[in-house]
Amino acid sequence: MRPESPHPHTLPAAAAAAVLAAVAAVASPLLGCGGGDDGGGGGDDDTAIDYRAGGATTVKDRSSNAYSLPAANLAGEELDRHRAGDAAFEATFVTGGAPVNNGLGPLYNNTACDRCHGKDGRGLPLIGVGPTSQSLVRVSLPEGEPEVPGGPVPVPGMGTQVQNHAVYGRDPEARVALAWDEQTGAYDDGTEYTLRAPRLAIERVDGESLDGVLTSLREPPPVFGLGLLEAIDDETIESREDPDDADGDGISGRVNRVWDVATGAAALGRFGHKANQPSLLQQAAAAYANDMGISSPIFPDEGGATDISLDIVELTAFYTSSLAVPAPATLTPEAERGQELFSSFGCGGCHVTEAETGDHELAIVSRQAIEPYTDLLLHDMGEGLADGRPDFLASGSEWRTAPLWGIGLVQTVQPGSGYLHDGRARTIAEAILWHGGEAEASRERFRRAAEADRAALLSFLGSL
Amino acid sequence: MRIGMRIRFRTVGTLLAVALAAAACGGDDDDGTGDDGTGDDSAGDDSSTDDGGGAVDQQVLVDFADQVVIPTYQLLADRAIALDDAAAALDDERSDESLDAARQAWADTRVPWEESEAFLFGPVSAQGWDPAMDSWPLNKDDLDAVLASGDELTQDFIRNLPETQKGFHTIEYLLWGDDSQKTAADFDDREIEYLLALTEELTLITTDLATSWTDGVGGQAAYRDVFTTAGDSGNTAYGSIDSAVQEMLGGMAGICDEVANGKIAEPFGARDPNLVESQYSFNSLLDFQDNMRSVLNAYTGDFPAGETEGSGLDDFVAEVDPDLDARFKGELDDAISALGEIPSPFPAAIQDPGNDAAIEAAQAAIATVQSTIEGDLTAVLLQ
Repeated sequence: MRPESPHPHTLPAAAAAAVLAAVAAVASPLLGCGGGDDGGGGGDDDTAIDYRAGGATTVKDRSSNAYSLPAANLAGEELDRHRAGDAAFEATFVTGGAPVNNGLGPLYNNTACDRCHGKDGRGLPLIGVGPTSQSLVRVSLPEGEPEVPGGPVPVPGMGTQVQNHAVYGRDPEARVALAWDEQTGAYDDGTEYTLRAPRLAIERVDGESLDGVLTSLREPPPVFGLGLLEAIDDETIESREDPDDADGDGISGRVNRVWDVATGAAALGRFGHKANQPSLLQQAAAAYANDMGISSPIFPDEGGATDISLDIVELTAFYTSSLAVPAPATLTPEAERGQELFSSFGCGGCHVTEAETGDHELAIVSRQAIEPYTDLLLHDMGEGLADGRPDFLASGSEWRTAPLWGIGLVQTVQPGSGYLHDGRARTIAEAILWHGGEAEASRERFRRAAEADRAALLSFLGSL
Repeated sequence: MRIGMRIRFRTVGTLLAVALAAAACGGDDDDGTGDDGTGDDSAGDDSSTDDGGGAVDQQVLVDFADQVVIPTYQLLADRAIALDDAAAALDDERSDESLDAARQAWADTRVPWEESEAFLFGPVSAQGWDPAMDSWPLNKDDLDAVLASGDELTQDFIRNLPETQKGFHTIEYLLWGDDSQKTAADFDDREIEYLLALTEELTLITTDLATSWTDGVGGQAAYRDVFTTAGDSGNTAYGSIDSAVQEMLGGMAGICDEVANGKIAEPFGARDPNLVESQYSFNSLLDFQDNMRSVLNAYTGDFPAGETEGSGLDDFVAEVDPDLDARFKGELDDAISALGEIPSPFPAAIQDPGNDAAIEAAQAAIATVQSTIEGDLTAVLLQ
């Protein structure tokens, strides 16, 4: 395997498969100490992997490589394909006439998948500083003709995303600057805390006004374990819906219905901070098109031209679907108590611990018992987190429950990454304190808890 | 995570390693992060154990940070400043002597960078400094366009230029040219201006990188403090000493994989000199050897180029399994030697099938190192 971008070569993405076939010949066993490189391994030692996290994909690694390892049950040709996908994920795109990886832009946010999802983790809330940005801004109009049925309404001249960088000689759509507004609060015991919220300054290069344009800052989410999430049956997700809160627990939860370009029909949304993408393939193609200006058969240029083949998009999607989930650390007594508090505070009402995957074309993620800590549903998270920008059925205050698996490794993988959709939370505690709406009661239980209890909950989350 | 034998030891050849039997709960933690961090000759061989369940002493993490990582980054920052000075001297006097001096300064700066590639985690990754300094290949079309333009090369303009037209390899291209035949007389003012802007930016990045470990940047904690307190309660990055050791081993194995299966295999497989790193300066094989030295430094806790030394993973391994320690160091020597057997320059070597055996032997030697890291070393250090 190739750990994420130890050396940012610009690899010829199209040649990645061929190169990687040669690499596979000399490739070594898994880095993931004890992770077992074929068929689950690890059964012979006394420190057996906690398979609950990602089922048989689970690896045991608490280092910065923890999100970057191939699924433990991946082998043979599929493992080779994963490695080729890794190279595609790292490939840096450049301007038009270059011999390899050309097709960047002309407008973009960044130049390679792993430049935003560094080490397959979260990006940093960095935008408008330097030649690329890790975070981006989505835009739309409150009303008008959507790009696809039910979707956001594009802003003339900008579409639904601000591309704030451009190839040499071209102007970007806008210049974006990010500042933070701080606010203070206090736990029930009087301990004060400071939260920060983003303040965007967006200046269109064409001088057009942004009045009335809806904007939303987004930090890149981690990309491991996504095949397992894709393998959860629609019915399982739908069974958790409670749109009218019939059970009276204060938590509703509903499915987003989004546009699937492959079928030309509505589909259950499951990826993205507002669950606005139905599949990893479409997610990957959209990221190529919108984040890097790389067209593909799924999202071709206006004239129908493409920069990369469908194979490359599929390879990248396969890579994200076959990344392992890291096993949690062994729970200390404090963390065990925190786990109980997680339950008694009601966190699990949305961050549903367990799930079963169904049948998926990728066998390694099929029929697995996993613990992603998400229901994959939309929830109203209150005014504090609202972006006021609807996305298909998701309202301006609804967000998809973020998976919590691996969340204890966020600062290990990419120190300085934030939490929540825009990276505003610098710590897990801050992220909890931002929860409102349907999560307000749970947040208040945390805010009112004794310091030792808060520490215990954080210890539990840190073990994930 | 695992219950294992806990062994406390002090090193640099002075003290016996003290083996403690498992009895290991509690003990006051975080006493190990001594403030001088040198770790040698200290009388304080306290026998407390650290949280985190690892077999390796926290002092190894302290010395890894203070005697290897930070000195490596500081040498990199110092040499980047020297490179910037050498570029300025070339501007002052367009002589071939000045050009040679600038080229030497580039190669000198390359050494600590390549010797840092066994620990590409933390700020260097998160802040994007690795690609900012070392993107490859470069974007010659846009480089030419900037050179041909009248754009004022302000620091802000340079900062916003794509990484594929700045950093080590763009500087290298400017200094050597396509065919390494460039002379001082070939430079025009615009190229010199561009060169100076890039070497200046390199000084800013390398200084930030060193500072990110010693003091912290952008409101972040000093990464030295994060790494060396692995296992302390409240450490949100490394919940155990084991996880920090796993980080070290992962970085060591990762660069082996990158050299054998990336830096060598990609151009070799395609027999394409355009895919070779440091192709203009013919520095490729030295880069690869320095990468292997980076593995050695991370393992031993020493940084010979910076004349620092500390306790390392090797001290622990030598105590538990001296044969393994000796074998591993021998494998590293073999890998460095095998790279030395490949005829330089590497871009030419990969095009001559007569060199295939030497290249494949180097790849195999590096793969052996990697295999030992992932197998026996991991078993000893993390079980």
